[in-house]
Amino acid sequence: MRAKLFLLVPAALVAGAGATWLAANAGANRPTEPGPYLTLLVGASLIVCGLASWHARPENRLGPMMVLTGFVWFAGLLSEATDAPLYTVGVAVEYVFVAGFVYIVLSFPSGQLRGMLDRVLIVVAVAGALGLQVAAMLFGSGRGLRCGGGCGDNLIQVFHDNGLAVALLDVQRVLGAALTLTALSLLTIRWMRASRPERRELTWVLLAGNATLLALAVTVVDDLLGTPLNSTPANVWFLTLALVPIAIVATFVRRRLARGSVAGLVVQLGEPTAPADLRAALARALGDPSLELAYWFPAEARYVTGDGRPVKVPGPDSGRRSTTVERDGTPIAMLLHDPALEHNSGLVQSVCAAAGLALENERLQAELRARLVELNASRGRLVAATDAERRRIERNLHDGTQQRLVSIAMSLGLLESKLAPAQGEAAPIVREAQTALALALEELRELTQGIHPTLLVERGLPIALEELCRRAGLPAHLEVDLDVRLPDQVETAAYYFASEALSNAVKHSHGNEVRVEVAYHGTTLTVQIADDGIGGAAIGGAGGRAGSGSGLRGLADRVEALGGQFTISSPPGRGTRLRAEIPCA
Amino acid sequence: MRVAVGDDAVILREGLARLLEEAGFEVVGVAADADELLELVERSEPDVAIVDIRMPPTHTDEGLRAAKAIREAHPAIGILLLSQHVHARYAIELLSSGTDGVGYLLKERVADLDELSASVRRVGKGGSVLDPAVVSQLVGRRRQGDNPLEQLTDREREVLALMAEGRSNKAIADRLFVSDHTVEKHIKSIFGTLRLPLSPDDHRRVLAVVTYLDSE
Repeated sequence: MRAKLFLLVPAALVAGAGATWLAANAGANRPTEPGPYLTLLVGASLIVCGLASWHARPENRLGPMMVLTGFVWFAGLLSEATDAPLYTVGVAVEYVFVAGFVYIVLSFPSGQLRGMLDRVLIVVAVAGALGLQVAAMLFGSGRGLRCGGGCGDNLIQVFHDNGLAVALLDVQRVLGAALTLTALSLLTIRWMRASRPERRELTWVLLAGNATLLALAVTVVDDLLGTPLNSTPANVWFLTLALVPIAIVATFVRRRLARGSVAGLVVQLGEPTAPADLRAALARALGDPSLELAYWFPAEARYVTGDGRPVKVPGPDSGRRSTTVERDGTPIAMLLHDPALEHNSGLVQSVCAAAGLALENERLQAELRARLVELNASRGRLVAATDAERRRIERNLHDGTQQRLVSIAMSLGLLESKLAPAQGEAAPIVREAQTALALALEELRELTQGIHPTLLVERGLPIALEELCRRAGLPAHLEVDLDVRLPDQVETAAYYFASEALSNAVKHSHGNEVRVEVAYHGTTLTVQIADDGIGGAAIGGAGGRAGSGSGLRGLADRVEALGGQFTISSPPGRGTRLRAEIPCA
Repeated sequence: MRVAVGDDAVILREGLARLLEEAGFEVVGVAADADELLELVERSEPDVAIVDIRMPPTHTDEGLRAAKAIREAHPAIGILLLSQHVHARYAIELLSSGTDGVGYLLKERVADLDELSASVRRVGKGGSVLDPAVVSQLVGRRRQGDNPLEQLTDREREVLALMAEGRSNKAIADRLFVSDHTVEKHIKSIFGTLRLPLSPDDHRRVLAVVTYLDSE
């Protein structure tokens, strides 16, 4: 395919040479004559840039379109010929290049027209440039076709009405001015609505295109007014027209240069990077500051952010696009980027390839963080489930077992009162049963209170802690700075923390007293239990106080499950201080 | 003596009613929840209402709230609270408005018929009953060594006795023909002698009273 493009080169050379010769040795005097230099410049610009673009991007219609427009441009110069058949063809296609030009600027950069309005504009352009021209040729010749003298014969003239022919050509020029201004506004609006990377793509072509359209509009108006400005507007028009293909190719070249930044990226990725650095590096390489990264989390078959939170894949209407990065056939990451990058999939692919390893590293870290997020959530759920279960057990014991035991106790009491003095030997047995029952009830009471602190639910943390301190086996001083109710799980955690820490102090510290301090600062609840005992406590139980370790581990778990912090300070001989900071989100 | 019983467990309220009748009380009715109990009390005006702390619908402290409501509407009706837990806090709340005609017992104490009927009678006659387990929690640690009550002056002891009757500072001052200020000074001195610390929820007055009652 690409080799065949070279066959067009000799054709272009012949066409260019012929058109330039015609422009230089013009027999006919036509309106808006470009002259030999501009003829060559515009045609060569269109064909050379068109071929280059066609060669680099065979799938993009812009290249062939530019080449075609170039040939049509040269063909239009046949209108300068004196030979009748050449003249006739030349006049017929004289302005068709305008339609090609409008197609090029409207369809840039994809080569595809975007909507109905674009298509209507092209149809109108072809109808005006070719249709009205041919229609005029059916009626007029010579002056009727705006010939200033020396023109060839019009071979397709059927009627003789130069007045109508000139009128048709006037309509053509008014239509041309309207079309031009419409296209100009359309392009400007499009540029203003474009995102930053898109604008970068459009700017040069927009400037050259709009300048051309403006110059064309001025030329047409000037011509309608009887050319008070002579040939200046036309020359400016042709000059700017020659710039459009150059701007198109320059934009494509710049895209290719952007891929050079991939090399810089590779060098940069050789160094250790933080997640934010990787994102910034990729954003720079792609020229899209809005770039976001998401990583594949296979355990849940979805994408997550760098810190492990779920990410939604953007839908087609979201104004964002995603590109999946794969390694060995499995997804590792997703780039969420501006839609403009879709026209530059080559760059995106290169960047993805270069960043593959770094992305895989980041993905593994993101997966780890996602698992941590999940782990914390499941820890919280476990604690909540445990608390609910404790509540259920306490309730069942209270409503069932305790009530029944009390009822038995009552029956025994009744039995005792009914025993006649004659049945005296039964009395000690009944009393024995009563004593055993009282002990069982007392044990059950202690047990249920330990399982679930009803007072905490009913009266809140300060009062529950007060009761706890009252029951402690050591003198306990309580200081509470808290006058609101906190979320259940926070109060429960703080209560169990204090309860366990207190019983630790009583059992292991050999101290004389213990201080319990609770403070609340809007976002954090701090609970601290300090004794004046022997110290040496450690979480692993490896310290001087054997047996306290597992209890401390449990305390740490409960606090950390709520995203809190647990600290222990227990220097030998200087008491133990346990501290929990629990966030109250 | 006429008694009303409020307990959500049918096995207990029926058992209790039977025991009380056995002991010679007249049981005017039984109630399964706080509303029913309030209605029963309103209707039959018993001498004593025996109330389970935990009752429907939330099974938390409905009984305690019902007891407070009865005390407000009918100060003459004695209240005996039954609880399965040793919650000194609830005893304090109950005693805060005066100690005459109130009692707080662990539920299992009902097994001893003599103790039960003695407690009901005492409450019915305007006395007070506090479960030994609760008392030991409230004043237990202060009983190590000598009895601090003995260190009070006669005047302080007099003030404390009036406090135990549920009288306000003003009423005590009127009764003793002294100024409010003097009464406050005595009370402060009593707290100091009984070594009652300033607690976050200041209920030293009740603790002083409990200490006094316990020594009687």
